[in-house]
Amino acid sequence: MLKCTQAVEDANTMHTSKLGWWRRFSLFMHLLMCHHCRRYVRQLKMLLGAVKDMHGEASDEEVERVLKRLRESSGS
Amino acid sequence: MSSDNAQEMPVTGMANRESEEDLQRLRSGEVAAFEQLVRRHHRALIAAARPLVGDEAEEVVQNAWIKAHRALPEFEGRSAVRTWLTRIVLNEAKMLLRKRGREVSLEDTTGGDADPQSWRFGSRGGWALPPRYWQVEGPHEVLSSDQLLECLQRLFGEMPGNQKALLEMRDVSGMDFEEICNDLNVSASNARVLLHRARGRVFELVDHYQETGEC
Ligand SMILES: [Zn+2]
Repeated sequence: MLKCTQAVEDANTMHTSKLGWWRRFSLFMHLLMCHHCRRYVRQLKMLLGAVKDMHGEASDEEVERVLKRLRESSGS
Repeated sequence: MSSDNAQEMPVTGMANRESEEDLQRLRSGEVAAFEQLVRRHHRALIAAARPLVGDEAEEVVQNAWIKAHRALPEFEGRSAVRTWLTRIVLNEAKMLLRKRGREVSLEDTTGGDADPQSWRFGSRGGWALPPRYWQVEGPHEVLSSDQLLECLQRLFGEMPGNQKALLEMRDVSGMDFEEICNDLNVSASNARVLLHRARGRVFELVDHYQETGEC
């Protein structure tokens, strides 16, 4: 039986690179039985979805600065 | 228990992913589409460049936009646009550093930083203090409070640059992990530790905020 520390590590690895099928299977079995890790995994997934948008949109000024430089570079 | 099911991983963000229609407009050089692209990704690109080049991040990203604009007609869409843009930014950053006689490397400053979540586990590897239940409907609600975003900025200010860089490249920009390790001269085992610690810190911040309403 996987320990929770290992389950947390493996759940993270699934969001990082590849996790072998056996480890994936062990994690899945652990999650069936451990509601704390289930909660952790669900919240980690939401967190990683959230960080993608955390920087928000650029302001009009920022966008204009980029476009201005672009015009200058293509105009020359 | 579908939302708890590990088989669904990894997540791909939808909000910053361009539609096929967006891509068509971008490839055909439509100005409004490019403007929208800049609006969506500019800040994330600067955040990705900053741990590598510091105050020169804005300059690096500006140059990357010029290159991206030129290359867009040939963009094949094999990766998300943000991932592709980040790759261009990373190349620009490396070029700038090379000009300064420096190399990109995230390897050197690992030591001394403890696992931010180890205190939650007992000696036998089980949860002693499990995370609390977050009162959120989905990812869009996790970081929706201004106060929390402010705290997050503060946290990023204190976070080691290599942890921050990995979080930005992998989790925000969706770059391939192996590619990051190669490009940033860091071993996979080291990078994994750094990235998981960065996530752990952000997780702890949100968990604490969920519990106390402050951070
Ligand atoms: Zn567990």
